[in-house]
This record gives sequence, structure tokens and C-alpha cells, in this order.
Amino acid sequence: MISVTNLSKKYGRFVAVDNLSFAVQQGEVLGFLGPNGAGKTTTMRMITGYLPPSAGRVTVGGNDLYDRPVEAKRLLGYLPENPPVYPEMTVRRYLRFVGALKDIPAGRLSAAVDLAIERTRLGEVANKRISKLSKGFKQRVGLAQAIVHEPPVLILDEPTSSLDPKQRSEVRELIAELKGRHTVLLSTHILPEVSEVADRVFIINRGKVMAVDTPEHLGERLRARDVVRLEVAVAGDAPSVAVRAALAALPGVTNVDASDTPAGTVRAELETPVGVDVRSAAAEAVVGRGWKLLALTGESVSLEAIFLALTADEAAAAAKEQG
Amino acid sequence: MRHILTIARREIESYFVSPIAYSVLTIFTFVSGLFFSNMIVYYIRQAVVADQQLERLGRSEFQLDVPTVVLQQFFQNEAFLLMFALPLLTMGLITDERRKGTLELLLTSPIRATELAVGKFAGAFGFLVVMALPLVPMFYFLAQGGDWEPGVVASGLLGLLLLGAAQIALGLFISSLCENILVSAIGTYGLLITLQFIDTTASATRSMWAEFLAYFSLYMRHVNLTRGLVSADDVVFFLSLVILGLFLTQRTIEAIRFKRT
Repeated sequence: MISVTNLSKKYGRFVAVDNLSFAVQQGEVLGFLGPNGAGKTTTMRMITGYLPPSAGRVTVGGNDLYDRPVEAKRLLGYLPENPPVYPEMTVRRYLRFVGALKDIPAGRLSAAVDLAIERTRLGEVANKRISKLSKGFKQRVGLAQAIVHEPPVLILDEPTSSLDPKQRSEVRELIAELKGRHTVLLSTHILPEVSEVADRVFIINRGKVMAVDTPEHLGERLRARDVVRLEVAVAGDAPSVAVRAALAALPGVTNVDASDTPAGTVRAELETPVGVDVRSAAAEAVVGRGWKLLALTGESVSLEAIFLALTADEAAAAAKEQG
Repeated sequence: MRHILTIARREIESYFVSPIAYSVLTIFTFVSGLFFSNMIVYYIRQAVVADQQLERLGRSEFQLDVPTVVLQQFFQNEAFLLMFALPLLTMGLITDERRKGTLELLLTSPIRATELAVGKFAGAFGFLVVMALPLVPMFYFLAQGGDWEPGVVASGLLGLLLLGAAQIALGLFISSLCENILVSAIGTYGLLITLQFIDTTASATRSMWAEFLAYFSLYMRHVNLTRGLVSADDVVFFLSLVILGLFLTQRTIEAIRFKRT
């Protein structure tokens, strides 16, 4: 539905988006992930026709945005980072205005507006002025204007940023409902959001693509692992050596790191492949040797850590380049 | 066409919930009424003096057709008032859309920059028509006095609408250039005041350039219409300014997208 070829945007010498190419298939939800300033908004603005690219092409539903802008824009619903609302209008009046701009036939306008209000659960505030609404409701109005004309393609720029956790999960639910009806391109810097709704994730930093894959594959490819941390009290000399040897012998453990603490205990960290749980085996191994188990926690290295690692590498490389 | 009407309608509706537009409407109506009654009183006194001279001396230094003189003066004053009122209505036309981020909605909708420019213009022009409505009872009042010239009223109103349309189109263009509404208002005042009085600059010298500049004077173009003289070149002049303003606005809207936001 969306095809982006060699897209670049330069502001003077600053390259905001660097030779980006990707395609979004019909019905797919693509998550666009990157820190602030990575070029997410600029890319989305180029896809919606708000900003012209410095180089490259964008087509939406086969319509080139440069040659056939009106046809391409008719297929798009767009929620910018800040919902583009007129505070003095009521929700219903505003949605009618947007619907008319998006070429909904006059006879179908009321029905389309009612449907959008229903789908975004704005019924109770439909006749209120937008200026009177809370941030969460304003964001839903933004979402309603993006879907009012039932566009095949939805572009959502950080739809949950600046909301509180409750509003955030509400908006996330709404987006999950949109899945299947629309092809969605969604940007965010909040990671759980992407792994929850997106079919494919696109990690972008400094205008370049760092990785593209499904959330699960990304985890595997980037050496996602589970980690178990223990703290053990051991009597005797060189306790950390003994602990390391004992834990490394457990089946499934790929790496062990153990060190003495000033308090005389040993801290150990076990790594295992994703899904292999060695917590109970580790506990037994410790207790069976007569050592005292003081603490044991398990966690998995999340997308967040992968994302940080990816973008930090890139930042370090850039710093080196400049230095 | 539907896009234009949609945009114009929203603009007019937003004027009617805007304190700025209400203040402009109220003060414009009040000051117009003040000018009107003051002028009637002044010229009636003058006419009485003229009558007395006629009685005592058998001749008068001047003859006054009160309704016509009042109308001419009134429409010239109104032109001046519009110059101050309209920039307050046009300053936010595009500037506000940029500030609120709604320009992003408009420019990613399947509409053309021309439709946006014309719709905005039509909205502000609609409000100008609303501003002109309270003037109608004044003319009715004048008509009660007996002899009056409906033709002068018609051409005077036509003149106000043409002048106002040109001022709105130029204000719209300035608004499309600015990201701050105060800068937009000040810029529009600068442009309109310059165009209004450019003939006074021109009359100080005698040259081809002076005549050329005087050609663009809003005052010189408008003054004929207040006298009941409707000439094609004045009408075409104002309409050309409207088209020029709309064209420049359309070009600027297209160019906004090339700048860093």
C-alpha cells in the first residue's frame, strides 16, 4: 500500500532522513521505532505529502505523491504528533469539517461521523467544544479525524506520547481494533507498544534504518536472552570460583559471571537462551552444596535493551566519526 | 467548490466565536455610526448657514446637497476604518493554522492550495459583508430626509466591498508568510497604509515613476466610487489585487512545505 524508495530529506547539511526504502503491505501494521529526532516525523510527513522529499519517491496505493497528490492523499488518514484540532469547534462539527475535506459524499457524512465517534468512543463528548476536553479525549478526536473517511492507510505519529498510562492503554486498544481494517504505519519511542500491535518493526536512528523484522525475530537476531541473578553466601576461600563452577554445570546455561561483594557474599549472573528457565535448578544447586541462597531474580532482555544497544552503538560510532 | 465552501464556512463560524472578530464588528459599527451622525449634524449646520447667506445677500458662497456630501465623506471615512479593521481579521487566516498545527491537516487532505486560499478569502469576505450590514439602516435614515442618491449609496457600497476584498487578499498573503499573528497584523498595516497613501508620495514629484506609483494608490482608486463613479479600470484594479493576493498566497502555501518546520 505504501512504497518508499530511496527517500531522503536534507536541511542544508543536516540529513534528517537518509536514503530510506521500505514497503508496507496491505493490512500490515508497521511499527516505526526510534529515539526522538531519529527522523520518524520527517518520514511520516513526507509520506503524507506535508513535506516534499529532497530525493526519492513515495507512492500510496500506486499513486505517486508528486504526480497524483490528491488521489494519494484521499487514501490516507493521518494523525500528527499533536492532534490537528480547532479548539473552538465541537467534536461533531469538527469531524464533519474534516469529513468534507476528505471528500466523503454529503449524503454519507453524518453516518461516517457517527461511526467514527462510536469507534473512538467519543459519544459522551460529541457535542462538547474540543478546548474543554482532556488530553486523552483530544487524542481520540485526533484518531477519529484520521479514520472518519475510512482510509485504507493510516499514519499515526506517536499516538500515545504525552498521555498518562491509563489513556495510553485506551488509545493502544483503539489502535489494536484498527488492525485488519487499515494498513497502519505507527511511530513511537515506547517499546511495549510496538511489540504489542506491530507485525513488523522498523528501528530507525539518525535517519537510517538499523533493523527491520518481526518483534520476535528481532529479539532472536539480536541475541535476546534470559538472565538469572543470584546472591549466595559461601564459607571458604575463593567462593566466587566455586559458585561459577557449580552454576556453569547446569544444563542450558550459556554464560556465568560471578564476583565477590564487599559484604562477603557472591553475586552471580546466568545467561540462558530465551524460554529456558533455570531458576529452580540454580536454587537447588546452591542449596544442595550447603550454601545460603540470599536472592534470586529472573528477567529477559527486552526490546528496550536491544533498542538501546543498537542506538547507543550508532551514537558512539557517530561520535567517533566527528571526533 | 465544496472544499472552498467548507473552508469558508469554518472560517466564518470561527469568527463568530472569536473575541477579536466581535470587537472589530462592534467598534467598526459604533465608529461608523459616530462618523455618520457627526457628519450629518455638521453638514446640516453648513447648509443652514448657506441658506441664511442666500436670504441676506441674495447669494451664497456654497451650495450643499447634504445627502450626497454626507455619503461621499462617509464612504471615504469607512475606507479608512476598514484599513484598520481588516488586518485584525486577516492576521490569523493562515498564521493561526500554522500555530495550531491544523495546517498539517489541511495540507495532507485531498485539497489544493488554491482551494485553501480561495476558501480563506471567501470566509473573511463573508465577514466583511456582515460588517457592512449595520450600515444599511443609516442609509435608510438618510433616505427619510427626502432627496438622496441611491446610485451613490450603491457605488459607495460596491467601493467598500471591492476595497475590502483587495485588503483581505493582501492581508491573507501576509498571513501566509508569518508564523506570529502580531507580525502578520503589523506587516499588513504597513502594506495597506503604504498603498493607501502612495499617491501623496507621488504628488511630491513629477515624473513617470510618480505617475506609475499613483496608479497603485488605493485611495485614488476608491475615491471615484464614493462619488458614484463606477469605472471599469477601478473595478479591474481592485479585482486584480484580489487575484494577485490569492495567487501569492497559493504560492506561499506550496512553499511553506519546503521550509524546515
